[in-house]
Amino acid sequence: MSRTIEFRDALREAMSGEMRDDARIFLIGEEVAEYDGAYKVSRGMLEEFGPRRIIDTPISETGFAGLGIGAAMMGLRPIVEFMSWSFSLVAADQILNNAPKMLYMSGGQLRVPIVFRGNDGAGGQLGSTHSWCVESLYANVPGLKIVIPSDPYDAKGLLTAAIRDPDPVFCLESERMLSMTGGVPEEAYSIPIGQAVVRREGTDCTVVSFGRPVHFCMEAAEELAKEGIDCEVIDGRSIKPLDIDTITASVRKTNCCVVVDQSWSFASIGSEVAAQVHRYCFDDLDNHVHRVHSDDVPAPYAHDLEAEMLPNARKICEAVRSATYNA
Amino acid sequence: MPIDITMPRLSDTMEKGTIIKWHVAEGDEVSSGDVLADVETDKATMEMQSFDDGTVHSLPVGEGQPVEVGTVVAVLLEEDESPEDATPSKPAEPAPADAATPAAKAASPGTTPEPVSADGSPSSSARSSTGQFRISPVARRLADDHGIDPTSLVGSGPSGRIVKRDILAAIGTGEETRSAVPPSAGTAPPAPAAQQISQPPAPVVPAVSVSATPVSSGQITIPGALQSHREPLTGMRQTIAQRLVESKQSIPHYQVSMTLDVDPLLSLRKSLNSQLAGTGSKISVNDLIVRACGLAMYANPLMNASWAGDAIEYHGDVNIGVAISLPQEKGGGLVVATIRNVDRKSIRIISAETRALSEKARSRGLTIDEMSESTFTISNLGMYGITDFTAIINPPNSAILAVGAALEKPVVRNGELTVGREMTVTLSNDHRVVDGATAAQYLVSLREFIENPAQILV
Repeated sequence: MSRTIEFRDALREAMSGEMRDDARIFLIGEEVAEYDGAYKVSRGMLEEFGPRRIIDTPISETGFAGLGIGAAMMGLRPIVEFMSWSFSLVAADQILNNAPKMLYMSGGQLRVPIVFRGNDGAGGQLGSTHSWCVESLYANVPGLKIVIPSDPYDAKGLLTAAIRDPDPVFCLESERMLSMTGGVPEEAYSIPIGQAVVRREGTDCTVVSFGRPVHFCMEAAEELAKEGIDCEVIDGRSIKPLDIDTITASVRKTNCCVVVDQSWSFASIGSEVAAQVHRYCFDDLDNHVHRVHSDDVPAPYAHDLEAEMLPNARKICEAVRSATYNA
Repeated sequence: MPIDITMPRLSDTMEKGTIIKWHVAEGDEVSSGDVLADVETDKATMEMQSFDDGTVHSLPVGEGQPVEVGTVVAVLLEEDESPEDATPSKPAEPAPADAATPAAKAASPGTTPEPVSADGSPSSSARSSTGQFRISPVARRLADDHGIDPTSLVGSGPSGRIVKRDILAAIGTGEETRSAVPPSAGTAPPAPAAQQISQPPAPVVPAVSVSATPVSSGQITIPGALQSHREPLTGMRQTIAQRLVESKQSIPHYQVSMTLDVDPLLSLRKSLNSQLAGTGSKISVNDLIVRACGLAMYANPLMNASWAGDAIEYHGDVNIGVAISLPQEKGGGLVVATIRNVDRKSIRIISAETRALSEKARSRGLTIDEMSESTFTISNLGMYGITDFTAIINPPNSAILAVGAALEKPVVRNGELTVGREMTVTLSNDHRVVDGATAAQYLVSLREFIENPAQILV
């Protein structure tokens, strides 16, 4: 039965639900236990599962990420929470060098069924070093899967799929969406990794996005509809593997494509989607694929500047108008 | 929507075209397929046809004015359209009644020329200044699917790119809302074409009707005297100049000549034509020479070649180019029509093809295809009584045969002085490809065929 809950509750339901069924699963991270999670995602979990399965750590990302990977190699199924994906950078050797490559390097002997999850993207005036969008950086590494839910329903469904997956999965959440509410079924369900969803059907321009910017795309689509431009908005849900088929099917219909990606433009998710659309839809395009990214600068601290630096509805509207020759 | 007819791209290398003659005038009804004008390109003069039905609203480009491919040269009104529909996006409303001077009236919609930007081409032409044609992939595909020639459209995208909506508009399903923003919005109001296009000097004819009134300097204008004037180069003249200078300057030419006994050839021709009487076929001396040259080419494949910089290309087909001079009223000049696979065609087919191509060259112009891929060229001035001459090689050929007249002469046959008919041919060769002995051997072969012409028939 579906009821309305917050994004953070949906994440907790995914974890708690799977933990009840599978004793190998544990949650580890900074302040996940005694403090109920820095963002209250793991509220009540210590009480239910006890300190052996809900584990507080020092500020030592390399250490607890590595601990999780080792545990996964030995047969457990860890969920490692980064308070922010910005902090995962100090654990890069573990999460990029060990987790995704271990199956390959061990000749298939050692699987690493682990989930790394946490807040990705600008949280709101957190400054340059704590506002990372890591997806473009990490998606470059073979052996990783990356999911990026944009609403509570997907948060539960994608995190559940990530926990059940036999390989390392990065789940990119957003501090800005944790309080968002939405209908979520009580029972367990999973959303297949690598499957996009059409959020809004339209005929004139395909707008592809991932995670939080999907909402800016919906906002832009409403605005553009008033101008007679009918956008089809696709939520990728997973970044890797990328559901290019859903995207190309839409572009073949609309002949135009705008990719909205909150990471920086160079060598990014946006450039990858654009390259694949050009590759598979060349004869269907009425214009080159347009892209909306964060501006190519470190995230500013000032509130207005941060909002201007990120993808937003105005930038998306401009890109769609240009892509459809209505600029 | 009024239909803009633009200067079509009639050859791969065409960047500009000149309307030699308009066959329609403003107000004329035209149907799809009607010839609107004769257009001269860098290579040939061709007909420009209408792809639509309608009424000619305006002809903003005059005769003789070279314009870039993509320039609007005519505007058609479709059925039920008024001249107002063809009014370009209004630069400025005419002032109220009190300012409606005769000049303002003259600029009323019905007579407003199509807007032309400062460089003489429409601001939204699908061709850039370099002549590059822009079209989006899906627009190209849609045009193919619907059999629309996109080169006839004006693009509404950036730099005149033809986009999907332009094709949709052309097939009549365009959604007006999509193109709500006029592509030229923000550009300066266009100036009337007439102010932009300087007319070329009118053809100067001898001033027969001019009275012999003494002018102030005391000089007398003699009726019928020639007058000095400059004639702008036609596209064809420019091409001839460029290609022949290039040929003469870059190809090391040399010539070999031979005088041939053409009595057997002429009597064969006479005999053939008397047998063909009534069939509509008539074999010319030139047809026989074309065939003989082709067979000699086959026998001397080293001649059937082109210089390719770091290699010599030997061709598998024997295609003989026949130089055809064009009538002065069509702009003069000459073109070379290609008769393909001459070594494998009968004399009647060669004759029919040559005649068809030279008639087409003189009336409507040849297509690029009809002029390309020759491997050897024949230039025949025999009909003027020219005894012999040298011709300039037509690249990428490496040889050209200059054919003189068949003349009655005192000749020695079997040790006896008698009257016979002889013809002198002069072969110009590219010494990079063909050495003297090879050229000489070719003429020996040619003489074999000409002097024993029964072989030409088989």
